[in-house]
Amino acid sequence: MKRFDCLKILASLVDEHMLAVTSLSTNTPFWFNVRPQGPNFFALNMGLCLPFALGLSVAFPKRKIIAIDSDGSLMNDSSSLITVADVNPPNLAAFVMDNGSYAHMGSTFTTRKTDLAKMAQGAGIANASTVKTLEEFSSAAKQAMENVGPTLIVAKVERDAGRVSADRSRTSGRPMREWFMDALRRHPDYKAGR
Amino acid sequence: MDQHSVEVIVETLKEQGIDLAVTLPEEPTYSLTEAMREDPFFQAVTVAGEGNGLAFCAGAALGGRRVVFVTGIAGLLVGSWALSQMGMVYGAPILILASYRGDFGDHSGIPGSQLLMFKQVAEPLLGALRVPYRVVNQKATLKRMIQEGSFACQDYSHPIVLLLSGEVLW
Repeated sequence: MKRFDCLKILASLVDEHMLAVTSLSTNTPFWFNVRPQGPNFFALNMGLCLPFALGLSVAFPKRKIIAIDSDGSLMNDSSSLITVADVNPPNLAAFVMDNGSYAHMGSTFTTRKTDLAKMAQGAGIANASTVKTLEEFSSAAKQAMENVGPTLIVAKVERDAGRVSADRSRTSGRPMREWFMDALRRHPDYKAGR
Repeated sequence: MDQHSVEVIVETLKEQGIDLAVTLPEEPTYSLTEAMREDPFFQAVTVAGEGNGLAFCAGAALGGRRVVFVTGIAGLLVGSWALSQMGMVYGAPILILASYRGDFGDHSGIPGSQLLMFKQVAEPLLGALRVPYRVVNQKATLKRMIQEGSFACQDYSHPIVLLLSGEVLW
């Protein structure tokens, strides 16, 4: 299963008012290519994607928040799974793109003994599962969009063969942040200083 | 932290519209975080790690919520990775109240070697992370410092730390 194909399916399920957050990995250029517009916060560094998305979930309780994390990032601060379970947001859907690899630098622990979906379940996220085919991913993603309560889907994807380009001014650092804030200011649910 | 300090902080946070309180419980500020947990004005969240706590605060703050993160020097050290990202890189307006463990007046019984380490690293750490901070150790200035810290946090769009010490904390 290819990451890009998963993200194309996911993008087809996301409406203009849903907020999305990506980890610093190929999730970022891939997601930019399939959903360049709308409130996207791109390229959060190791361990920060899921908890940042959780913060957005309490700021936008009526909108689905999509976290597109990766195996290395989530393992860097897996205690965020406990925080997610305890906050128990009704509107958070987390997708962990698990390619079993730290970019091109060797395998991660998920290729050996570690099962991130079971870790999420143990943390208290009842709706946590692993999918290995596009059909399973599509079905699980649709279900995640309808679920009330946090959902975490670990998608077992291949290592990415090539790179996809993305506009860095839209996908990293302060310029990206300003694009994101501009999208939020136009969001019907946004109200600063609530 | 005594009841008077708790009441001043809670009252001032409410005046500032700060209604999301995030913490990983620690002893010197426990009375404060419990008071916020019992007050329906606040959405009180306990996090499992300071790093994910600060990232959580940043998401909420950029999303428009007014946020306070309550921690200590050890928590700032643990969360320094997230603080560097959410501060220097993304400018998230997070008001942080931190017990100044190791400052003069800390008679809490923690081994002196730990207190000395906290004292030695706290302010240089915040300096290295380019996080503006003030030491708040007088009850007479507590309210004003929270007001000013909250204003600066929003105005700079950046984390601000108030290091609670002296008669405010001990």
